[in-house]
Amino acid sequence: METSDAPQGAGEAENSDVHHKIGQLTRQLHDTLRELGMAEKLRGSAEELPDAKSRLSYIAKLTGEAAEKVLNRVDQAKNQHDYIAAETLRVKALMVQNPVAAVAKGHIMNFLTDMEQSSKEIDQHLTEIMMAQDFHDLTGQVIARVVNLATTIEDQLVSLLIQTAPPQTVVTKPSAPSVEGHPVLQGPVINPEGNTEVVTSQSEVDDLLASLGF
Amino acid sequence: MANPLRFLVVDDFSTMRRIVRNLLKESGFSEADEAEDGVVALQKLRNGNFDFVVSDINMPNMNGFQLLAEIKKDDKLKHIPVLMVTAEARKEDIVLAAQQGAAGYIVKPFTKATLEDKLIHILKKTGLQ
Repeated sequence: METSDAPQGAGEAENSDVHHKIGQLTRQLHDTLRELGMAEKLRGSAEELPDAKSRLSYIAKLTGEAAEKVLNRVDQAKNQHDYIAAETLRVKALMVQNPVAAVAKGHIMNFLTDMEQSSKEIDQHLTEIMMAQDFHDLTGQVIARVVNLATTIEDQLVSLLIQTAPPQTVVTKPSAPSVEGHPVLQGPVINPEGNTEVVTSQSEVDDLLASLGF
Repeated sequence: MANPLRFLVVDDFSTMRRIVRNLLKESGFSEADEAEDGVVALQKLRNGNFDFVVSDINMPNMNGFQLLAEIKKDDKLKHIPVLMVTAEARKEDIVLAAQQGAAGYIVKPFTKATLEDKLIHILKKTGLQ
Protein backbone atom coordinates (compact mmCIF):
# COMPACT_ATOMS: atom_id res chain seq x y z
CA MET A 1 0.00 0.00 0.00
CA GLU A 2 2.77 2.43 0.92
CA THR A 3 4.61 1.90 -2.36
CA SER A 4 1.51 2.64 -4.43
CA ASP A 5 0.45 5.63 -2.29
CA ALA A 6 3.80 7.35 -2.35
CA PRO A 7 3.90 8.32 -6.09
CA GLN A 8 0.25 9.42 -5.95
CA GLY A 9 0.97 11.63 -2.98
CA ALA A 10 3.99 13.07 -4.75
CA GLY A 11 1.85 13.76 -7.83
CA GLU A 12 -0.75 15.59 -5.78
CA ALA A 13 1.97 17.65 -4.17
CA GLU A 14 3.38 18.54 -7.58
CA ASN A 15 -0.08 19.51 -8.85
CA SER A 16 -0.66 21.60 -5.80
CA ASP A 17 2.71 23.28 -6.34
CA VAL A 18 1.89 24.05 -9.99
CA HIS A 19 -1.48 25.50 -9.00
CA HIS A 20 0.21 27.55 -6.34
CA LYS A 21 2.74 28.92 -8.84
CA ILE A 22 0.03 29.73 -11.41
CA GLY A 23 -1.88 31.52 -8.66
CA GLN A 24 1.22 33.52 -7.76
CA LEU A 25 1.86 34.45 -11.40
CA THR A 26 -1.74 35.50 -11.84
CA ARG A 27 -1.59 37.65 -8.74
CA GLN A 28 1.72 39.20 -9.89
CA LEU A 29 0.29 39.90 -13.35
CA HIS A 30 -2.83 41.41 -11.84
CA ASP A 31 -0.82 43.62 -9.47
CA THR A 32 1.57 44.66 -12.24
CA LEU A 33 -1.26 45.57 -14.58
CA ARG A 34 -2.93 47.58 -11.83
CA GLU A 35 0.29 49.38 -10.91
CA LEU A 36 0.95 50.22 -14.54
CA GLY A 37 -2.57 51.41 -15.06
CA MET A 38 -3.01 48.86 -17.84
CA ALA A 39 -5.82 46.88 -16.24
CA GLU A 40 -8.53 49.32 -17.20
CA LYS A 41 -7.31 49.60 -20.77
CA LEU A 42 -7.08 45.84 -21.23
CA ARG A 43 -10.45 45.35 -19.57
CA GLY A 44 -11.94 47.83 -22.01
CA SER A 45 -10.51 45.92 -24.94
CA ALA A 46 -11.60 42.59 -23.50
CA GLU A 47 -15.13 43.89 -23.18
CA GLU A 48 -15.10 44.66 -26.89
CA LEU A 49 -14.17 41.09 -27.82
CA PRO A 50 -17.74 39.67 -27.63
CA ASP A 51 -18.76 42.61 -29.83
CA ALA A 52 -16.03 41.61 -32.29
CA LYS A 53 -17.43 38.07 -32.30
CA SER A 54 -20.88 39.44 -33.11
CA ARG A 55 -19.39 41.53 -35.89
CA LEU A 56 -17.63 38.53 -37.43
CA SER A 57 -20.87 36.53 -37.23
CA TYR A 58 -22.63 39.43 -38.93
CA ILE A 59 -20.07 39.32 -41.77
CA ALA A 60 -20.57 35.58 -42.19
CA LYS A 61 -24.36 36.05 -42.20
CA LEU A 62 -24.31 38.90 -44.70
CA THR A 63 -21.90 37.24 -47.14
CA GLY A 64 -23.88 33.99 -46.90
CA GLU A 65 -27.15 35.77 -47.63
CA ALA A 66 -25.61 37.65 -50.56
CA ALA A 67 -24.23 34.44 -52.08
CA GLU A 68 -27.60 32.72 -51.65
CA LYS A 69 -29.44 35.64 -53.20
CA VAL A 70 -27.09 35.79 -56.19
CA LEU A 71 -27.27 32.03 -56.83
CA ASN A 72 -31.09 32.04 -56.62
CA ARG A 73 -31.34 34.94 -59.05
CA VAL A 74 -28.83 33.33 -61.43
CA ASP A 75 -30.92 30.12 -61.39
CA GLN A 76 -34.05 32.09 -62.25
CA ALA A 77 -32.29 34.10 -64.96
CA LYS A 78 -30.86 30.91 -66.49
CA ASN A 79 -34.33 29.36 -66.58
CA GLN A 80 -35.60 32.45 -68.38
CA HIS A 81 -32.67 32.25 -70.78
CA ASP A 82 -33.35 28.58 -71.51
CA TYR A 83 -36.98 29.44 -72.19
CA ILE A 84 -35.98 32.22 -74.62
CA ALA A 85 -33.56 29.90 -76.43
CA ALA A 86 -36.17 27.13 -76.75
CA GLU A 87 -38.91 29.50 -77.90
CA THR A 88 -36.59 31.09 -80.46
CA LEU A 89 -35.84 27.69 -81.99
CA ARG A 90 -39.53 26.74 -82.01
CA VAL A 91 -40.69 29.96 -83.68
CA LYS A 92 -37.76 29.86 -86.11
CA ALA A 93 -38.91 26.38 -87.21
CA LEU A 94 -42.47 27.68 -87.69
CA MET A 95 -41.14 30.55 -89.81
CA VAL A 96 -39.09 28.19 -91.96
CA GLN A 97 -42.09 25.87 -92.36
CA ASN A 98 -44.68 28.50 -93.26
CA PRO A 99 -43.88 32.18 -92.64
CA VAL A 100 -47.33 33.45 -93.59
CA ALA A 101 -49.10 31.02 -91.26
CA ALA A 102 -46.66 31.81 -88.44
CA VAL A 103 -47.63 35.47 -88.64
CA ALA A 104 -51.31 34.87 -89.36
CA LYS A 105 -51.77 32.43 -86.47
CA GLY A 106 -50.18 34.91 -84.05
CA HIS A 107 -47.08 32.81 -83.28
CA ILE A 108 -44.76 35.74 -84.01
CA MET A 109 -46.76 38.25 -81.99
CA ASN A 110 -47.01 35.84 -79.05
CA PHE A 111 -43.28 35.22 -79.27
CA LEU A 112 -42.48 38.96 -79.24
CA THR A 113 -44.78 39.54 -76.26
CA ASP A 114 -43.12 36.66 -74.42
CA MET A 115 -39.68 38.03 -75.16
CA GLU A 116 -40.62 41.47 -73.91
CA GLN A 117 -41.83 39.99 -70.61
CA SER A 118 -38.82 37.67 -70.29
CA SER A 119 -36.32 40.46 -70.89
CA LYS A 120 -38.03 42.54 -68.17
CA GLU A 121 -37.78 39.64 -65.72
CA ILE A 122 -34.12 39.01 -66.58
CA ASP A 123 -33.41 42.69 -66.04
CA GLN A 124 -34.98 42.45 -62.56
CA HIS A 125 -32.77 39.44 -61.77
CA LEU A 126 -29.69 41.37 -62.88
CA THR A 127 -30.68 44.37 -60.75
CA GLU A 128 -31.11 42.12 -57.70
CA ILE A 129 -27.72 40.50 -58.37
CA MET A 130 -26.18 43.95 -58.48
CA MET A 131 -27.94 45.02 -55.26
CA ALA A 132 -26.67 41.89 -53.50
CA GLN A 133 -23.15 43.26 -53.88
CA ASP A 134 -23.87 45.88 -51.21
CA PHE A 135 -22.51 43.37 -48.70
CA HIS A 136 -19.03 44.58 -49.73
CA ASP A 137 -19.70 48.03 -48.30
CA LEU A 138 -21.50 46.84 -45.17
CA THR A 139 -19.02 44.10 -44.25
CA GLY A 140 -16.07 46.33 -45.15
CA GLN A 141 -17.10 48.82 -42.48
CA VAL A 142 -17.47 46.05 -39.90
CA ILE A 143 -14.12 44.48 -40.80
CA ALA A 144 -12.46 47.88 -40.36
CA ARG A 145 -13.78 48.07 -36.80
CA VAL A 146 -12.60 44.56 -35.92
CA VAL A 147 -9.15 45.33 -37.35
CA ASN A 148 -9.12 48.50 -35.27
CA LEU A 149 -9.87 46.49 -32.12
CA ALA A 150 -7.12 43.96 -32.93
CA THR A 151 -4.67 46.83 -33.46
CA THR A 152 -5.64 48.39 -30.12
CA ILE A 153 -5.14 45.12 -28.23
CA GLU A 154 -1.81 44.54 -29.96
CA ASP A 155 -0.70 48.05 -29.06
CA GLN A 156 -1.68 47.60 -25.42
CA LEU A 157 0.09 44.25 -25.15
CA VAL A 158 3.25 45.66 -26.74
CA SER A 159 3.16 48.59 -24.29
CA LEU A 160 2.80 46.13 -21.41
CA LEU A 161 5.74 44.12 -22.73
CA ILE A 162 7.93 47.21 -22.95
CA GLN A 163 7.03 48.40 -19.46
CA THR A 164 7.58 45.01 -17.83
CA ALA A 165 10.73 43.95 -19.70
CA PRO A 166 13.90 43.42 -17.58
CA PRO A 167 16.24 46.45 -17.77
CA GLN A 168 18.89 44.60 -19.84
CA THR A 169 16.34 43.63 -22.49
CA VAL A 170 15.93 46.09 -25.30
CA VAL A 171 12.34 46.06 -26.46
CA THR A 172 11.32 48.62 -29.01
CA LYS A 173 7.78 49.44 -29.90
CA PRO A 174 7.03 48.62 -33.53
CA SER A 175 5.90 51.57 -35.54
CA ALA A 176 2.14 51.60 -35.68
CA PRO A 177 0.59 51.16 -39.10
CA SER A 178 -1.23 54.22 -40.29
CA VAL A 179 -4.84 53.77 -39.38
CA GLU A 180 -7.26 56.06 -41.09
CA GLY A 181 -9.18 58.23 -38.61
CA HIS A 182 -10.77 56.56 -35.62
CA PRO A 183 -14.38 55.96 -36.50
CA VAL A 184 -16.65 58.07 -34.39
CA LEU A 185 -19.51 56.74 -36.46
CA GLN A 186 -20.96 53.34 -35.63
CA GLY A 187 -21.37 51.70 -39.04
CA PRO A 188 -23.93 48.94 -39.63
CA VAL A 189 -26.02 47.90 -36.63
CA ILE A 190 -25.08 44.35 -35.68
CA ASN A 191 -27.62 43.62 -32.93
CA PRO A 192 -30.61 45.92 -33.36
CA GLU A 193 -32.92 43.84 -31.12
CA GLY A 194 -34.01 45.85 -28.11
CA ASN A 195 -31.86 48.85 -29.07
CA THR A 196 -34.13 51.88 -29.06
CA GLU A 197 -31.33 54.20 -30.18
CA VAL A 198 -31.27 52.83 -33.73
CA VAL A 199 -33.73 52.36 -36.56
CA THR A 200 -34.20 48.93 -38.08
CA SER A 201 -35.99 49.78 -41.32
CA GLN A 202 -36.41 52.55 -43.85
CA SER A 203 -40.00 53.10 -42.69
CA GLU A 204 -38.69 53.94 -39.21
CA VAL A 205 -36.33 56.48 -40.78
CA ASP A 206 -39.24 58.03 -42.67
CA ASP A 207 -41.43 58.11 -39.55
CA LEU A 208 -38.68 59.76 -37.53
CA LEU A 209 -38.08 62.41 -40.19
CA ALA A 210 -41.83 62.97 -40.55
CA SER A 211 -42.12 63.50 -36.79
CA LEU A 212 -39.49 66.23 -37.15
CA GLY A 213 -41.45 67.90 -39.92
CA PHE A 214 -39.33 66.72 -42.85
CA MET B 1 -36.14 58.92 -71.39
CA ALA B 2 -32.82 60.20 -70.09
CA ASN B 3 -32.96 63.04 -67.57
CA PRO B 4 -30.29 65.75 -67.92
CA LEU B 5 -29.84 66.24 -64.15
CA ARG B 6 -26.25 65.72 -63.07
CA PHE B 7 -25.59 63.59 -59.97
CA LEU B 8 -22.53 63.22 -57.76
CA VAL B 9 -22.31 59.87 -55.96
CA VAL B 10 -20.06 59.97 -52.88
CA ASP B 11 -19.01 56.75 -51.13
CA ASP B 12 -15.66 55.30 -50.07
CA PHE B 13 -16.64 51.86 -51.44
CA SER B 14 -16.40 51.63 -55.21
CA THR B 15 -18.94 48.79 -55.21
CA MET B 16 -21.58 51.01 -53.66
CA ARG B 17 -20.76 53.88 -56.02
CA ARG B 18 -21.31 51.53 -58.97
CA ILE B 19 -24.56 50.21 -57.50
CA VAL B 20 -25.95 53.71 -56.94
CA ARG B 21 -24.84 54.89 -60.39
CA ASN B 22 -26.43 51.87 -62.06
CA LEU B 23 -29.66 52.42 -60.12
CA LEU B 24 -29.69 56.08 -61.13
CA LYS B 25 -29.18 55.04 -64.74
CA GLU B 26 -32.04 52.53 -64.52
CA SER B 27 -34.21 55.34 -63.15
CA GLY B 28 -33.33 57.53 -66.14
CA PHE B 29 -30.50 59.59 -64.63
CA SER B 30 -27.47 58.73 -66.70
CA GLU B 31 -25.42 61.83 -65.92
CA ALA B 32 -23.42 60.92 -62.81
CA ASP B 33 -19.90 61.29 -61.49
CA GLU B 34 -18.24 59.73 -58.43
CA ALA B 35 -16.15 60.79 -55.44
CA GLU B 36 -14.55 58.53 -52.83
CA ASP B 37 -14.79 60.95 -49.90
CA GLY B 38 -15.99 64.39 -48.88
CA VAL B 39 -12.77 66.15 -49.87
CA VAL B 40 -12.88 64.91 -53.46
CA ALA B 41 -16.64 65.50 -53.58
CA LEU B 42 -16.25 69.12 -52.52
CA GLN B 43 -13.58 69.72 -55.16
CA LYS B 44 -15.78 68.22 -57.85
CA LEU B 45 -18.82 70.18 -56.69
CA ARG B 46 -16.89 73.45 -56.78
CA ASN B 47 -15.42 72.70 -60.21
CA GLY B 48 -18.45 71.08 -61.78
CA ASN B 49 -22.06 71.72 -62.38
CA PHE B 50 -24.03 69.24 -60.29
CA ASP B 51 -27.74 69.20 -59.50
CA PHE B 52 -27.91 66.45 -56.87
CA VAL B 53 -25.62 64.73 -54.37
CA VAL B 54 -26.07 61.16 -53.08
CA SER B 55 -23.64 60.72 -50.20
CA ASP B 56 -22.50 58.10 -47.72
CA ILE B 57 -21.69 59.29 -44.17
CA ASN B 58 -18.92 57.07 -42.83
CA MET B 59 -15.94 57.98 -45.05
CA PRO B 60 -12.28 58.81 -44.45
CA ASN B 61 -10.80 62.33 -44.76
CA MET B 62 -14.15 64.11 -44.73
CA ASN B 63 -17.30 62.28 -43.70
CA GLY B 64 -20.81 62.85 -45.01
CA PHE B 65 -21.84 65.18 -42.19
CA GLN B 66 -18.80 67.37 -42.79
CA LEU B 67 -19.47 67.36 -46.52
CA LEU B 68 -23.10 68.31 -45.92
CA ALA B 69 -22.04 71.19 -43.65
CA GLU B 70 -19.54 72.44 -46.26
CA ILE B 71 -22.17 72.32 -48.99
CA LYS B 72 -24.74 74.16 -46.90
CA LYS B 73 -22.38 77.00 -45.96
CA ASP B 74 -21.27 77.54 -49.56
CA ASP B 75 -23.56 80.04 -51.29
CA LYS B 76 -22.91 78.46 -54.69
CA LEU B 77 -23.65 74.93 -53.53
CA LYS B 78 -26.23 75.19 -50.77
CA HIS B 79 -29.17 74.83 -53.17
CA ILE B 80 -28.04 71.32 -54.19
CA PRO B 81 -30.15 68.60 -52.52
CA VAL B 82 -28.10 66.04 -50.58
CA LEU B 83 -29.52 62.56 -50.08
CA MET B 84 -27.70 60.58 -47.41
CA VAL B 85 -27.36 56.84 -48.13
CA THR B 86 -25.67 55.23 -45.18
CA ALA B 87 -25.38 52.29 -42.80
CA GLU B 88 -25.53 54.72 -39.85
CA ALA B 89 -28.86 53.81 -38.26
CA ARG B 90 -28.70 55.76 -35.00
CA LYS B 91 -31.65 58.09 -34.53
CA GLU B 92 -29.34 60.90 -33.46
CA ASP B 93 -27.50 60.64 -36.80
CA ILE B 94 -30.77 60.84 -38.74
CA VAL B 95 -31.89 63.85 -36.72
CA LEU B 96 -28.50 65.52 -37.14
CA ALA B 97 -28.60 64.99 -40.91
CA ALA B 98 -32.07 66.53 -41.08
CA GLN B 99 -31.02 69.49 -38.93
CA GLN B 100 -27.96 70.08 -41.13
CA GLY B 101 -30.14 70.28 -44.21
CA ALA B 102 -30.07 66.81 -45.78
CA ALA B 103 -32.88 66.38 -48.28
CA GLY B 104 -33.38 62.72 -47.40
CA TYR B 105 -31.94 59.76 -45.50
CA ILE B 106 -31.74 56.14 -46.65
CA VAL B 107 -30.41 53.35 -44.45
CA LYS B 108 -28.33 50.61 -46.09
CA PRO B 109 -29.12 47.98 -47.20
CA PHE B 110 -31.76 49.58 -49.37
CA THR B 111 -33.84 48.67 -52.42
CA LYS B 112 -34.12 50.20 -55.87
CA ALA B 113 -37.71 51.20 -55.04
CA THR B 114 -36.61 53.10 -51.91
CA LEU B 115 -33.99 55.07 -53.83
CA GLU B 116 -36.46 55.89 -56.61
CA ASP B 117 -39.13 56.99 -54.10
CA LYS B 118 -36.75 59.34 -52.32
CA LEU B 119 -35.35 60.76 -55.57
CA ILE B 120 -38.82 61.51 -56.95
CA HIS B 121 -39.93 63.04 -53.63
CA ILE B 122 -36.86 65.29 -53.38
CA LEU B 123 -36.90 66.30 -57.03
CA LYS B 124 -40.56 67.33 -56.77
CA LYS B 125 -40.01 69.14 -53.47
CA THR B 126 -37.04 71.10 -54.81
CA GLY B 127 -38.65 71.83 -58.14
CA LEU B 128 -35.98 70.00 -60.10
CA GLN B 129 -38.64 67.83 -61.75
